[in-house]
Amino acid sequence: MISHTEYRAVVEFLHREALLADEARYAEWLALWTDDGVYWVPATTDPAADPDKHLSHIYDNRGRLETRIKLLLTGHRYSQEPASRMRRLVSNIEAAPAENGELVAESNFALAELAIQAKREMHWWVGRTTHRLRRVGGELKMCRKKVVLVNAAEPLPNLSFLI
Amino acid sequence: MSSPSPNGTIDYTALVHDDRIHASLYTDPRIFDDEMERIFRRGWVFVGHDSEIPSAGDFVTRRVGTEPVIMVRGKDGDVSVFVNRCMHRGTMVCPADRGSARTFTCPYHGWTYDISGELLGVPYPGGYAAFDKSAHGLTRAPRLSSYRGFVFASLSPAGISLAEHLGSATRLIDRSCDLSPAGEVELTAGWVKHRCAANWKALPENDSDGYHLGFVHRALFSTVRSQYQRVVGDERAIKAVVRDWGNGHIEIDWSPGYQGPFEWLGGVSGSAVADFVAALERRDGAEVTRRRLLGGPAHALIFPNLFLGETNIAIVEPVSVEECVHWHTPMFLTGVPEFRSRLLRMAEAGMGPASFLMPEDLLVASRNQLGLHARTAVWLELGRGLNRERVDAEGRTVSHVTDETTNRALWRHYRTVMTEA
Repeated sequence: MISHTEYRAVVEFLHREALLADEARYAEWLALWTDDGVYWVPATTDPAADPDKHLSHIYDNRGRLETRIKLLLTGHRYSQEPASRMRRLVSNIEAAPAENGELVAESNFALAELAIQAKREMHWWVGRTTHRLRRVGGELKMCRKKVVLVNAAEPLPNLSFLI
Repeated sequence: MSSPSPNGTIDYTALVHDDRIHASLYTDPRIFDDEMERIFRRGWVFVGHDSEIPSAGDFVTRRVGTEPVIMVRGKDGDVSVFVNRCMHRGTMVCPADRGSARTFTCPYHGWTYDISGELLGVPYPGGYAAFDKSAHGLTRAPRLSSYRGFVFASLSPAGISLAEHLGSATRLIDRSCDLSPAGEVELTAGWVKHRCAANWKALPENDSDGYHLGFVHRALFSTVRSQYQRVVGDERAIKAVVRDWGNGHIEIDWSPGYQGPFEWLGGVSGSAVADFVAALERRDGAEVTRRRLLGGPAHALIFPNLFLGETNIAIVEPVSVEECVHWHTPMFLTGVPEFRSRLLRMAEAGMGPASFLMPEDLLVASRNQLGLHARTAVWLELGRGLNRERVDAEGRTVSHVTDETTNRALWRHYRTVMTEA
């Protein structure tokens, strides 16, 4: 169990992260990460997925995360130029203490993306996210984010925004 | 059995010229139907790789064109490809992407087949006066053949052999496989499937287009250094070439621009690399190994749907005239497990919906698809490089990497296939 105050802080963090991703506020989103962050989007819903054996959609360490953001900031990442219009709902949030004073939060999300770069299609993205959060200088940061899409193993359209 | 072209009225010679092609090739559903018949049923189509189904009963499901198939390893160790359709009422027998099975049972009325396709049983057999189970096995792909573990099928009983289809392009497959000390590659990491709102031909064309890199991928090249950097500078300084291997097989060869070994692997070093180099040298000698490690794996299309994407293997899957899927998986080198993590991370960086390269390619392809619906302007220009391409000692046309030699070769073969008797 965690305290109500702590739970509140987790919820606010998840809402904040969702807002920054929705609004393509890339630098602010990157600032939510610790220096040892790992951002993982498996290409399967199999819980036994292993990023050292199986191909993932995303398996970024800090360096690659920064490259991902730099590309988006060039203005020439055409698959996100202009940025998709997005709003996501984050819900069913469960938070628990983890080792080393960290917190682990699980949540569901539903994201509507208007991919306006070509056909102006609406894409639905739905999945379950696991965040690992750590207090750094009094503020919560993510050191791990894993996103398991319900259709992770199906043909997906461009996923170059922040999920 | 092959049926005649369902749209025998389309004059492909009027649509495909040597230096320009007509937009309807990407938008006309009748042409798509013709292609499924002439290219994906009569021709040889890549289905999967040996390493995906190592043990008896292991299977993957795929599509040959738009036809659902099961590729399964039999008890005898041989690979079979069956049409994924119950012989009773046509239900798809196996809905899973992959797995291991002793039998395939149709969910509709319980007809059950073994992994050699034989019909084992039909519930309530009293409803048939006489029933010949042997005549109701799963339908086999009429022809199946493989090269170095790459399994190809043809849904037509007659036609040229796989060896004739591949021709000298087997050397492209060799180039990739020979990088493994065991001479084998393994496709065991699973596939990522990337949906593309464009005609399927946009993918092989783009995969072998060396002209777009500095434009479509400007964000990446202005951000990180990569082995492709040398093809986005001054036109005269670019050394990489494109090459036509015949029968629609086309290549981008980066290697003339490489200055040292392992550029294709992003540069590597350490004891694992030393062991790997030593293993290749024991097999091939120092000089051949030096050339292999400089040149790296092939970047080439094996017509129509297998893309040797350097350290990745990709499949082009047509869905409809307006939609296709690009599959990819890293190409693991048998005997070099130390490279796996790097190959996985390279695959994620280069290909797939969240990668740093392909989202731009597929975005441009989908914009192409929108533009190609125009009928006030109908031609696509493919004349680039006609002024400077040359024929090498082996009869292959070669040109500057930004030239449309590859596109022209693809379309020339396409016209042959779409018009031959």
